[in-house]
Amino acid sequence: MIKEIKEPVIEVHNLTVVYDRKPAIWNIDFTLPKGQIIGVMGPNGSGKSTLLKAIMGVVNANTGWVKVAGEDIEGVRKRVSYVPQRQSVDWDFPATVWDVVAMGRFALKGVFKKLNADDRSVIEESLKKVNMYTFANRQISQLSGGQQQRAFLARALAQEADIYLMDEPFAGVDASTEEAIVQLLKQMKKEGKTLLVVHHDLHTAQNYFEWLVLLNTRLVASGPLTEVFDTALLEDTYGGTLTTLTKVAELLDKNDMPMRHK
Amino acid sequence: MMEAFQEFISFFRLTEPNVRVVFWGSLILCASSGLVGTFTFLRKRSLIGDVISHSVLPGICLAFLIGNEKNLIVLITGASITGWISTYLIDVITAKSKIKTDTAIALVLSVFFGAGILLLTKIQHSGYGSQSGLDSFIFGSAAAMNFSDVKLFGIFGSLMISIVLIFYRGFLLISFDEDYAGAIGFPIRFLKFLLSVITVITVAMGVQSVGVVLMSALLITPAATARFWTHRVPLLAGLAMVFAGVSGILGSAISYTKAGMPTGPWIVVVVSFFAFFSVAFGSQKGIFPKWIRRRVNNKRILGENILKVFYKLSEGTESGYSLQELISSTPVKEADLMNGLRILQKNDLIGKANDKWFLSESGFREAKSVVRKHRLWELYLSKYMNLKADHVHDDAEGIEHVITAEIEKELEKLLDYPTVDPHDSEIPYE
Repeated sequence: MIKEIKEPVIEVHNLTVVYDRKPAIWNIDFTLPKGQIIGVMGPNGSGKSTLLKAIMGVVNANTGWVKVAGEDIEGVRKRVSYVPQRQSVDWDFPATVWDVVAMGRFALKGVFKKLNADDRSVIEESLKKVNMYTFANRQISQLSGGQQQRAFLARALAQEADIYLMDEPFAGVDASTEEAIVQLLKQMKKEGKTLLVVHHDLHTAQNYFEWLVLLNTRLVASGPLTEVFDTALLEDTYGGTLTTLTKVAELLDKNDMPMRHK
Repeated sequence: MMEAFQEFISFFRLTEPNVRVVFWGSLILCASSGLVGTFTFLRKRSLIGDVISHSVLPGICLAFLIGNEKNLIVLITGASITGWISTYLIDVITAKSKIKTDTAIALVLSVFFGAGILLLTKIQHSGYGSQSGLDSFIFGSAAAMNFSDVKLFGIFGSLMISIVLIFYRGFLLISFDEDYAGAIGFPIRFLKFLLSVITVITVAMGVQSVGVVLMSALLITPAATARFWTHRVPLLAGLAMVFAGVSGILGSAISYTKAGMPTGPWIVVVVSFFAFFSVAFGSQKGIFPKWIRRRVNNKRILGENILKVFYKLSEGTESGYSLQELISSTPVKEADLMNGLRILQKNDLIGKANDKWFLSESGFREAKSVVRKHRLWELYLSKYMNLKADHVHDDAEGIEHVITAEIEKELEKLLDYPTVDPHDSEIPYE
């Protein structure tokens, strides 16, 4: 079940990313609609994070390409905001919540330009939107998991982008933070933002998303929730990996074979 | 002893031109390595710093063999080249093979340092005229610096510091969150390359005063030490520069005073002293401040517990009690009790008349407050955590000292201003 969209906000074409000869995502091809909350789901190690990183151009595609708003990512980078997995950074790093959120402004200011009063008011607003303004001067090492996630979201908000890619924003947060994030996402959608959210909880997925991308190294499905949230497709995603595909991937690694050759 | 001390003091008058050279040379070298090392520390690449510093030795020796003289520019260039190759090798080995970082570090470090020692031995046995200065790179010798060296260090050092200041934001972001830096379009490959180049050059210069063996201590220890005093990167970097600079000068002064003493070990001794001091007394996670806090807390808990004894003995009526009565109605040890009574008396919470202790007005209020918190907490536990009435006392014994005025108000509201606790004892209000 792969539904194609005309004038997609994100178009992924034949994308393959290989880590250390093993494909993390293999020939992914889909289009995504504008202004929706889109879930990316699949078991552990199914390439969800890799997909997000490949869209951002943080990891290089071995084959295929990605277009965001009809352009190469380099041309629209400022309009796309990325929220990495919370556990991907060291929260003992010497910084305050404000310092982290200010990084969101670096996206617009670059390496050299100074932050001004406008930037500071955007940072303040972003902190307020996630209910973290009172924690602005708190050391990040003292934050709970939920507060860390809110700080990361505020950083993404501070970039004032149109498209948001979020890697597991609900992982390891308390119920009240999860609810607050959901409300925030809905508010952002109302403002016309597109949200691509990696998620792992099947129970809540139905309430959060309008569009679903099912991933297990290969693409299983991409389409409106009502059509994709289907027992057979979910079983296909979570139940078993395609055993032949896994065998071929292992052979590539074991025999040192290239995936593509010229 | 006295003489050495006087000479040590006279070093800081900076009257001799030679002393001035050592002073400024050490200051620039060490301060810039403290600054650059801050990012090595933040990026958790401390051991890579150790590899670089050991790997500059073969570069120094090769540069000497090729240039056939002890020209500082040539030596630093040689040192930087092999130092850079070593970090590059570690990255390549970990990326392209199954070997993990720690193993790659051990491999590269020993191969380069071994090669360096071999070359150094060869040079020493082949009768070069000016070879004598070369072994000072092992443990460092600030005294071997001359005026033109210091000029060179001054130029390079200020260049390194300027680069860090200019690219500060980039270095900060690749240290905290490299993926995000890439996602917002920062040139991370360039930034990482630039940072590793200035690290290598800083190390290559620093070995003049600290030596290859101990250089990594000067790169990492100042930043690690500063971490005990701050949680902001700009202050961290500034403090690291100060710690490194001061250690550099003191270490050089000591080794200058005692002829034949190598500089590097003395610098490391001083910087390590700062480190130990900070582990003990640092405002962020230092051991001593933590100990003080605990002591203050213990005193408060003792005082509050004694006040509670008074309150329970009387449950409201004001009368005095002898020491014996107090001892028999509390598990608090006699010595602690005496100590606590003394402190409470000093704070006018209790008074003493006719060998009997009694609560003062403010003491009575204070005692009531502790008992109130205790009983509110008991009620909260039994109501919201479904604990039986006989299970809540021990927990409340601890928590009563933690509850603040705000939380107390919250509890009162949540429990709807209750009058009795789960044991049907009265909850005393103001």
